[in-house]
Amino acid sequence: MGRAAILKSIQENKPALVPLPKIDLNSFDEIVDLLETFKSNVKLVGGDVIELASINDLDTKINDVYPNAKKIVAQTSASNLGTISIAKDTDPHSLEIIDLAIVKGEFGVTENGAVWISEEQFPVRVLPFITNDLVIVLSKADLCDTMHSAYKKIANRQRSFGLFLSGPSKTADIEQCLVIGAQGAMSLTIVLV
Amino acid sequence: MSHSQKAALFNKNETKVNWHDKALWFVREKRDTAAHKIKGWEYLRELASGIKANVLSNLDNYLVQFEQNAKQNGIIVHWASNAEEHNLIVHKILAKNNAKKVVKSKSMLTEECHLNPYLEAKGIEVVDTDLGEYIVQIAKEPPSHIVLPAIHKTKEEVDELFQEHLGTTPSNGNPEYLTNEARKHLREKFIEADVAITGVNFAVAETGGFVVCTNEGNADMGAHLAKVHIACMGIEKIIPKEEHLGVFLRLLARSATGQPITTYSSHFNKPVPGKELHIVIVDNGRTDQLSREDFRSSLHCIRCGACMNTCPIYRRSGGHSYDATIPGPIGSILSPGKDLKKHSSLPFASTLCGSCTNVCPVKINIHEQLYKWRQIVTKDVKQPLVKKSILKIVGIVLSKPKLYNLAGKSARFVLKYAPRFMVYSNINTWGKARELPEVKNQNFDDWYKVKRKNNG
Repeated sequence: MGRAAILKSIQENKPALVPLPKIDLNSFDEIVDLLETFKSNVKLVGGDVIELASINDLDTKINDVYPNAKKIVAQTSASNLGTISIAKDTDPHSLEIIDLAIVKGEFGVTENGAVWISEEQFPVRVLPFITNDLVIVLSKADLCDTMHSAYKKIANRQRSFGLFLSGPSKTADIEQCLVIGAQGAMSLTIVLV
Repeated sequence: MSHSQKAALFNKNETKVNWHDKALWFVREKRDTAAHKIKGWEYLRELASGIKANVLSNLDNYLVQFEQNAKQNGIIVHWASNAEEHNLIVHKILAKNNAKKVVKSKSMLTEECHLNPYLEAKGIEVVDTDLGEYIVQIAKEPPSHIVLPAIHKTKEEVDELFQEHLGTTPSNGNPEYLTNEARKHLREKFIEADVAITGVNFAVAETGGFVVCTNEGNADMGAHLAKVHIACMGIEKIIPKEEHLGVFLRLLARSATGQPITTYSSHFNKPVPGKELHIVIVDNGRTDQLSREDFRSSLHCIRCGACMNTCPIYRRSGGHSYDATIPGPIGSILSPGKDLKKHSSLPFASTLCGSCTNVCPVKINIHEQLYKWRQIVTKDVKQPLVKKSILKIVGIVLSKPKLYNLAGKSARFVLKYAPRFMVYSNINTWGKARELPEVKNQNFDDWYKVKRKNNG
């Protein structure tokens, strides 16, 4: 239908080629404390941060924070809290009942408190959104400064589905009052190990 | 109705206008705080503008590259020249999948194409799942802001709407309660939906993937639950490479709401095996705008809404006064390209202060384009006789110093001695809702001469 017409119209109407600028990363160079900046930005976007001395304390800590969670999907071998296991062929609708999901974060971005998570850590894409609460386990060593560095880190990934997740689901659509917990997860706890 | 007439309606409720004005200015201030934290912010804006300029100059090739890569990844690509074709394509996909229930996340493009009424007329239920969009949908209104669709509604109004449509108990507009009730209702809709429709924030030519940004998580809830996902994008959403997302995602949320990034920035590259992922690429007047050298850069827009939040006219007239899918300063340079006559008052809905241009993350010279549209409008669209005659008279007066002096003296005399009902009559718009300054006997010229004399 429209393909040929659109492309023809663009060819007739576009200006002479404007060169594509190169990104000069030196312009963004700054000395920042990666860990402290990351922690403060996670809090800024409504998330919680827990620092663990040892990964062995993970489950105890999660139990402290989410004592009422019963239906739990744990997508990391570091946790034994999982009560429901999921696989690629799990019907996403069945995850509606999930209280808590625990997934591994690949790396964090300090400038905005976001964490990159991808389908490789959760076989059903809807998991981090549909779960009532979300825990992301992240290594302190896996932090980068800006989104520019972040895209370098994921440049060679298997591209199917992934996201930068920054804080819990939120909205301010009623008179600009910030409410945590719109359509996605009601809370986000990032456990730094 | 012209913009000023519609703005007058919005201004009838003074408390509401004052709130609207302050609320949006607060968002503008949050934008400033977020922007000032970033080293190289101005350079980021330049980069974004440069990348978009390159995109427009090579748009056909990028679109073809995008299509090729998307297809390789199992995405089905459609092209639509206009709104009718877009709606037809979407409906065909729905019909093929026997879909009766659709959940939609925010997409200004589908608003522009009036997709909802089109599908509803065919017996399909369409639910807008962004909370703000849901509010305006049940209120049967269009969004009044592209990022904050229900910014014109008070919490008490939302409370009443929810009582009527969701059966909530009266809460005096408790935002937590109302949001949670909407969450419960929308979760049901997500679970039931056959097809999810989303917009596209950025489509990457190099990879054939696209990014959708939300704070609520509604786009993802829809897209990952339904068996079919349709993403609709204007042709200008293309960016060349994935690394350019680093530039745009740093700018978008900071400019929009002052957040460092949206809660969810989801990167879709392949459908889940067994599910369908469609992309509809839409022109609908964009290539016309591409042909207009003076207005071309309006296609750089990444829909952050910063120009609306900062605009002294938008803040005090409300989004509905623009009577266009995209309101505010950016809408006022996009809309005349679509229908010059209908939108002829929009380029005048500005003080030309340039604040929009200053905050635009992709450096669109919005106020200059508003001025340029004015030149075209006054030539091509019949202007009211009063406006034309007044401007002619003012032109004559300003070009003749003696006449100007006389006019000044008469005006001062009238302001000083005429009765109040005459000075503050309907003819004097400057006297509406404000007191005119106290009149001095001298004008600047006289005052200066006396001063010079006294000082020797």
